[in-house]
Amino acid sequence: MSDYREENKQHNNNPDPNYWRSFEELYRNEKTLEARHHEFADGVTDDFDPNENLSAISRRKFLALLGASAALAGVACSDYRDKGEIVPYNVKPEEIILGIPNYYASTCTACANSCGILIKTREGRPIKIDGNPEHPVNQGKICAKGQANILNLYDPERIQQPLKKTSTGFDTIEWNKSDKDIIAALSMAGSKEIAILTHTITSPTTVKVLDDFKVKFPSAKIYSYELFNSSNRNSAWLKCYGSGSFPLIKWNEAKVIVSLDSDFLGVEGNTVENKRLFAEGRDVNKKSFSRLYVVESAMTLTGINADYRMRLKPENQFAFVMSLMNELNKKGVISTSLSSEYNLESFVQKFNLDKEKVNHLVNDLASNKGKSIVYAGDLLPENVHIAVNILNDLLGNKTLYRNDSSEVNLINLSSLNELKELTDKISNGQVAAVIHLDCNPVYHFPNDLNYKNLLSKVPTVVTLTERMNETAQFSNYVLPINHNFESWGDAKTRTGLISLQQPVIAPLHNTRQKEAILLTWISTNPETYSETLYHDYLKNNWETNIYPTLKSKIDFKQLWFGALHDGFVLTNDSTSSVGSVNLAALNASISNVESNGMTLILRESYQVGDGRFANNGWLQELPHPVSKITWDNYAALSHNTAKSLNLENDDLVEVSVDGRKLTLPVFIQAGNADDTITIELGYGREFSGIVASGVGFNANSLLSSKPGLSNWIYTNASITKAGGKYPLASSQEHHAFDNPRIQDLHIKRHIIQEGTVALYEKKPDFIQEHRPKELESVYTPFQYNEMKWGMAIDLNKCLGCGDCVVACNVENNVPVVGKDQVLKSREMQWLRIDRYYSGSPDDPRVSVQPMLCQHCDQAPCENVCPVVATTHSPDGLNQMVYNRCVGTRYCSNNCPYKVRRFNFFNFRDHFRDGYQESSILTLMFNPEVTVRSRGVMEKCTFCVQRIEEARSEATRRGTPIKGTDVKTACQEACPTNAIQFGDINSKDSEFYKYRTHELGYYVLEELNVRPNVTYIAKLRNIHTEEL
Amino acid sequence: MKKSLLDYILRNRLPLTVFVIISSFTLTYFVSRPERDGVGYTPVQPINYSHKLHAGDMKIDCQYCHTNVDKSRFAGVPAVATCMNCHTVARKDRPEIIKLTQYYRDGVPLPWKRIHKVPDYAYFNHSVHVNKGIDCTACHGEVTQMEKVGQMNSFTMGSCLNCHRNAHDKFPELKDQINKGPEYCSACHR
Repeated sequence: MSDYREENKQHNNNPDPNYWRSFEELYRNEKTLEARHHEFADGVTDDFDPNENLSAISRRKFLALLGASAALAGVACSDYRDKGEIVPYNVKPEEIILGIPNYYASTCTACANSCGILIKTREGRPIKIDGNPEHPVNQGKICAKGQANILNLYDPERIQQPLKKTSTGFDTIEWNKSDKDIIAALSMAGSKEIAILTHTITSPTTVKVLDDFKVKFPSAKIYSYELFNSSNRNSAWLKCYGSGSFPLIKWNEAKVIVSLDSDFLGVEGNTVENKRLFAEGRDVNKKSFSRLYVVESAMTLTGINADYRMRLKPENQFAFVMSLMNELNKKGVISTSLSSEYNLESFVQKFNLDKEKVNHLVNDLASNKGKSIVYAGDLLPENVHIAVNILNDLLGNKTLYRNDSSEVNLINLSSLNELKELTDKISNGQVAAVIHLDCNPVYHFPNDLNYKNLLSKVPTVVTLTERMNETAQFSNYVLPINHNFESWGDAKTRTGLISLQQPVIAPLHNTRQKEAILLTWISTNPETYSETLYHDYLKNNWETNIYPTLKSKIDFKQLWFGALHDGFVLTNDSTSSVGSVNLAALNASISNVESNGMTLILRESYQVGDGRFANNGWLQELPHPVSKITWDNYAALSHNTAKSLNLENDDLVEVSVDGRKLTLPVFIQAGNADDTITIELGYGREFSGIVASGVGFNANSLLSSKPGLSNWIYTNASITKAGGKYPLASSQEHHAFDNPRIQDLHIKRHIIQEGTVALYEKKPDFIQEHRPKELESVYTPFQYNEMKWGMAIDLNKCLGCGDCVVACNVENNVPVVGKDQVLKSREMQWLRIDRYYSGSPDDPRVSVQPMLCQHCDQAPCENVCPVVATTHSPDGLNQMVYNRCVGTRYCSNNCPYKVRRFNFFNFRDHFRDGYQESSILTLMFNPEVTVRSRGVMEKCTFCVQRIEEARSEATRRGTPIKGTDVKTACQEACPTNAIQFGDINSKDSEFYKYRTHELGYYVLEELNVRPNVTYIAKLRNIHTEEL
Repeated sequence: MKKSLLDYILRNRLPLTVFVIISSFTLTYFVSRPERDGVGYTPVQPINYSHKLHAGDMKIDCQYCHTNVDKSRFAGVPAVATCMNCHTVARKDRPEIIKLTQYYRDGVPLPWKRIHKVPDYAYFNHSVHVNKGIDCTACHGEVTQMEKVGQMNSFTMGSCLNCHRNAHDKFPELKDQINKGPEYCSACHR
């Protein structure tokens, strides 16, 4: 290992940063460097042992196969021309045209944000989810979880029948019988409590059902909880302003954004909207750029997009805000009489912050009064939020609070104390029944509430859920409920609109809508249930309660069908205005936590949320946006902390705080604050099916009902080496395409090109200087006279979230390969987000770059295919013909971008013994895309199925096809519209502007492969022209 | 072995054997070609439906039943309900219509035998061809003359390309309306 500083020094004369993607690479770890000279990682191309890698063929399976082949032979001999049958409808539904998708507007219930969605169905099967373009909040975009939700619908492990616990396990039971039992139990409750536990409820009609329930069963009490919530933010708001909840922010209008440990682009709030608004404020075409300061402990998605980033432990955030306030006060920017014991200069010194960055921050806040926003993270304690509210108020930043809409809370979340009261009541035998309404408290509640064991003291425990989970395991009755796409509903999360949810498929199994189950119990007669029970109730509630408030001029029926068509209705309720701030709130809360030990931070997982999506293979395999790790969580440590503890990646450690312990592997995360341990929750599920169970580590066991700094941050944690290793599957070192063996070339390669806003203003075409001149080719270039497809990716807008990756998976039938295969670099995603670090590992600068097939005009893959399975189309596509491919993998070897994926197995058969071969999952496939089998190469096709569909549509219309007729799946999904797609030859199109942008460049342009994906260079909004 | 025997084998026997093998292979290959491509395949259908009667003699338009042919990839085999548009009144007493009515009453779909098939990895699109003015008969033959429908043409990639490459020779009447068909892979394979 040589010292990275030495290496970096050598390149100091060069303006280009020396990019590195992992510590191994930074330190020139020989193994890593060696590995990158090879196309495939060790073991990837090994012969496989069928006993180990494939589910071994048992005698039974062999006999079955034998029988099947005999039967097949019989069929083949009888009439080899038999082509099967065509089975048309008996009566064709009016709206279905075979082969043409139908779209239905609905509402996503994957989280509490209730975004509007558009569900694409083919012949009655939902196959793709997109945002509803007309929905005012998410405006046509939807996050990765919302898109991957389709896999939950077809999950083969959904519970298909109501279950009743017996001494040996669970037995199926008729709905009528379970209803009868439960109704009897509820009626006998008397004065004993019936506890209903639920996540956030966003549906006004569900609230009404619960109200009816409380009328019928007066002892019922609703507990609503979320593992991650903004309760600190909202309670601070109440203390500061007396009423309302924290307003929505005009991210797009802010000139300076200061994020304190907040991941508003990653997991906090409605991230789809946040990302869109944030990117709107950083538009290279409008030449307007906000400046993002991030002061945080863990490297987050927001952090990697910062212009200036500083590392700070969360317990020091309060002192930081106060010092900042005092400094601004001293400079006369604001005037306040608040405590002056905080001094910015000494704070900066004490915590070793970059003085220059802090000065810039102070000056920017001073010169952007009313155009800046300070935003504290959900995980931070209340006092930081109070200080931030006051600072914003003093700076006049209330102008950036949105007044067109604000958040609506239908049922307040229960506090930890209320949950404690519940457990006390249970242990005193005062609870007759517990109903878990699609939630999983055994997994989510802190262990010291002892909820799991207390459940045995409750006579009737009912869990309404889609699939088995920890809580269902300890319930008397497990009732299967309808999925999002099988359910009716409505949602109100904002003032100004109500969204509607409609089913797009009849329940696949013997499941019921959860509200309908409650309504049946309310009626106390199991026979009341009908398929339309909740639909009628919902419609009735709208007619009597919601329709009158809309003051609509059209009659209800028209409004109802109109609303169903649109997916929402606009309402005219007013948004609460922001009053004047109560400065006293701050004085009461001043406290300073001094800590010298380790601080434990528990964060929400980017991929699986709070664990609700742990059963979703697509999300498990989506690389973490920062660390690029799949299928696991880990203890993230800073580079220095790991060094001082003598820890390396994958080392198992024991993290303990107040006697609570957990053993998990270490991942060294560049840019994390020293002496912090960051662990993402949502993993380590049990009893939750083959995808979720045993993946990662259940760090909920580190939670406590006695909050530390906050519910998610605990000081004085400790970490010790536990011995042993645990391999983390990361897509990090894979598919390297910059060859460090030739270091100088690597610097010259300009895979990532960046500049600053200041430089761009002075010299708009600075990127073009680096670009090679027109290169000669031995081939005569093909003349694209008509259409030529191309893509442009604006790296100023790309945040690296990975929503596009999931969209691509769903659209193109990309299989889940499992952790063992990701460890061998065999992941199949056609689109990946490359993440590069530059600078020091303590304070790295991060660049992200979506990498997909570049559809090169002179594609190197095409020249080497011995069977002409990959060729070029006259509209500029690099085509891949699966039925010609024989699997030599020469093309992948010759691809400079490393974007080709090989089916080493029939992955659908291989993953956990053919989970994806389940016949129900075949319903999910996009029928317009071939399902690839073992031994063929595949890659991004620019969504050729959409192009061909647009072509046939154009033929139907009788007009020529236009570039704007096609939107690729990734483009449709990108929340910031960073991806543009269109016709390169259409000179008057919007796309052409990107194609010929002065900041545009191609990756590895000097290879003269003439790629067709233009990258718009990222500009950093920093105070100098130099990077 | 005598030299003359070896000579005989090499001069006469071997070439003769090789010739017989090659010629019988070639002959079988070409003679059985239509058979292998399914040309002439005329399966027995669950309902003895006559295209000649409906489309030929009574001149019912193809699209009366195959409604999707100009809208979608699939031409669409009509639902039983489409037949019942007429047959709730017409020819109710005929045995085949009684059979049909039974299907309709029971709500059971009719399992028609498939005659024309392109492989799963080829995405043929009816609407593009029909909207460009290509007649159904170009691929399906004179269905209006068929008592019982069978496959008239080969449905191999070679047959597709044969038209795509020589569109103007094959359809001189459409010379002004159509271009050559696409020959690139992803036009049909994705």
